[in-house]
Amino acid sequence: MFARIKSEITLWRVIVAIIFVTGLYATYIRFFQGFRASTNLSDQMPWGLWVGLGTLCGIGLSAAGFGISAAVYLLGMERYRPILRSAILISFLGYMTVCVGYLYEIGLPWRFWHPIVMWNHRSVLFDVCVCIMTYTTVLTFEFAPAVIEKLPWQRFRETVLHYHHKILVAVVLAGVLLSSMHQSFLGGLYLIARGKLHPLWYSPYMHAMFYLSAIPAGLALTVMAIYLCMRSLNVRVDFSILNDCGRMIQLLLIVYAFFKVLDLIANQAFGYAFQFTHEAGYFWLEVLLFLAIPIIMLSFESVRGNPERLYWACAFVVAGFMVDRLNVSINALQTAMGTHYVPKWSELASSVLVIAAGVIAFRYAVIYLDILPKASSKPPQRWIGNAGLAAQA
Amino acid sequence: MAQEKALLIDIKRCIGCLSCETACKQLHGFGTDPEPTLSDTAFTVVEARGDKFVRKLCMHCEDPACASACPVEAISKTRLGPVVYNADKCIGCRYCMLACPYQVPRYQWTKLAPFVKKCDLCVDRIKAGKSTACAEACPVQATIFGNRDALINEAWSRIRSDASYVPHIYGVEELGGGSVLFVSDVPFEKLGFKPAPTGNQPMPTLTSSALGDSPKVVIMGGTILSALYWVTQRRREVALAEAEEKATINKIKGERS
Repeated sequence: MFARIKSEITLWRVIVAIIFVTGLYATYIRFFQGFRASTNLSDQMPWGLWVGLGTLCGIGLSAAGFGISAAVYLLGMERYRPILRSAILISFLGYMTVCVGYLYEIGLPWRFWHPIVMWNHRSVLFDVCVCIMTYTTVLTFEFAPAVIEKLPWQRFRETVLHYHHKILVAVVLAGVLLSSMHQSFLGGLYLIARGKLHPLWYSPYMHAMFYLSAIPAGLALTVMAIYLCMRSLNVRVDFSILNDCGRMIQLLLIVYAFFKVLDLIANQAFGYAFQFTHEAGYFWLEVLLFLAIPIIMLSFESVRGNPERLYWACAFVVAGFMVDRLNVSINALQTAMGTHYVPKWSELASSVLVIAAGVIAFRYAVIYLDILPKASSKPPQRWIGNAGLAAQA
Repeated sequence: MAQEKALLIDIKRCIGCLSCETACKQLHGFGTDPEPTLSDTAFTVVEARGDKFVRKLCMHCEDPACASACPVEAISKTRLGPVVYNADKCIGCRYCMLACPYQVPRYQWTKLAPFVKKCDLCVDRIKAGKSTACAEACPVQATIFGNRDALINEAWSRIRSDASYVPHIYGVEELGGGSVLFVSDVPFEKLGFKPAPTGNQPMPTLTSSALGDSPKVVIMGGTILSALYWVTQRRREVALAEAEEKATINKIKGERS
């Protein structure tokens, strides 16, 4: 008996248990003792880790869903269909974590519904709220078939999927536009912080920069998730698809780097990168992790062709992306706001709890639903469509 | 229509007695101990800059960044001048605090149901025909209350009659202007007044161009994506038809041989 219990205790289970205990305790402090007890936020730093990590990274890293669904449904790149559902699932769970995180962030969480009925067209944050709400609904719709096809009632299943299929393309189109809009509006949030945000990041085109950086990051996270599924779960994906994703990520990163350089020149901000300041240090860390290392790594076929190396290249992209978003939301503001902000343990613990819950949900969805092709059985026919004729042609 | 009200603060006259601070705190029922900076219990403070004293308070902008930022329109500029906060709408997102170029709004960080706190230019007193508490309390009339136009005239006449004044009224044009005006005998930048990040343009213009473009981008993006979808569908149909044709031909060939 004891031996059996002992064998159930693995390193990762212990880590998950620690995350849940600390995270739930941090949640208790947040909702029953308030901001002062649970955060290091202040009048000088009204937005901290929850916005930087929870919202900006959460939404940005969920960008693969709209990218891949646009490629498959709208541009006819059938080749990526095997990873479509996993990308949509990642986006769906990512947005779910953001919606939960929103309740931590706002001071009066029981008024979460106010933006639905109280509108301010001039507010970027209002547009972000509305887009996120609508797009979460769209993602629920896009992901629903994976659950519905597992239901035991055949008639219900067939009717729903029939009508679902009929309006799917229109919904995907709306989803692509919605997510393009709010991916960029997240950057647009900081447009009004001119004079506060450090010039290495502030730009009148911040919204465009946020959009361009989110797509490769979201794609990189999807590649990482699929690699981990192939390693630990009963999943087999044609590796050449991931290889192509690596190529695509590199291309998108080069495009982003190009515009970032143009942007710095246009804002005459290049000089700030060579000053001996904290901001310059964070800027180069971001350049190194998000651009330099992955672009060089991904240009080698030996990296793209090797699952583990591709995984690490993507890990650099994701890490660099997170540095970028935390730079914008925290590091670039500290000098102008005259403060030094280090998140409290409870801010980190509650963010990690929400993210961990998303990861666990992803794992069980991959195990119990048809998210990725299983190694032992053939993939369902409907993924290929038209009995494979289109794919052959 | 009622005329827009304003405050004129004369840095040359201010003696730093903190009467305005105390009067404000008394009006709102806060403790009267002076605080070093604005807080959720100090809507105005008097800061010493060298041998001068500068009042800090909400500038009551004509086109306020905070009001444009608020997702639920909890902050608005009234015709009478004050920028007021509607606590019943607020969700506590604190975007107004990030948006405000003067870093004025404060938050009740210790409360379980926290709200944003800032000067409301004594809006209830103004509506009742009275002046603001701070202006009423000032013993040397360094802060005076009145119609905005009249105060601008008054400020110019002070500047003209006394050569020691800096020939500029801060708050008439900066960031589109506001209902709090300053005159001084020391250059404003030496008193901690930061250069206005958008010059004389109101802050909301920074976001309005990005937001204004979005309908165009959506319409264009939607059209392009629909067109691409149509093209790929058509290509797929053609490919399918060709594949079927090929299959039929092969079948016939197979039957013949």
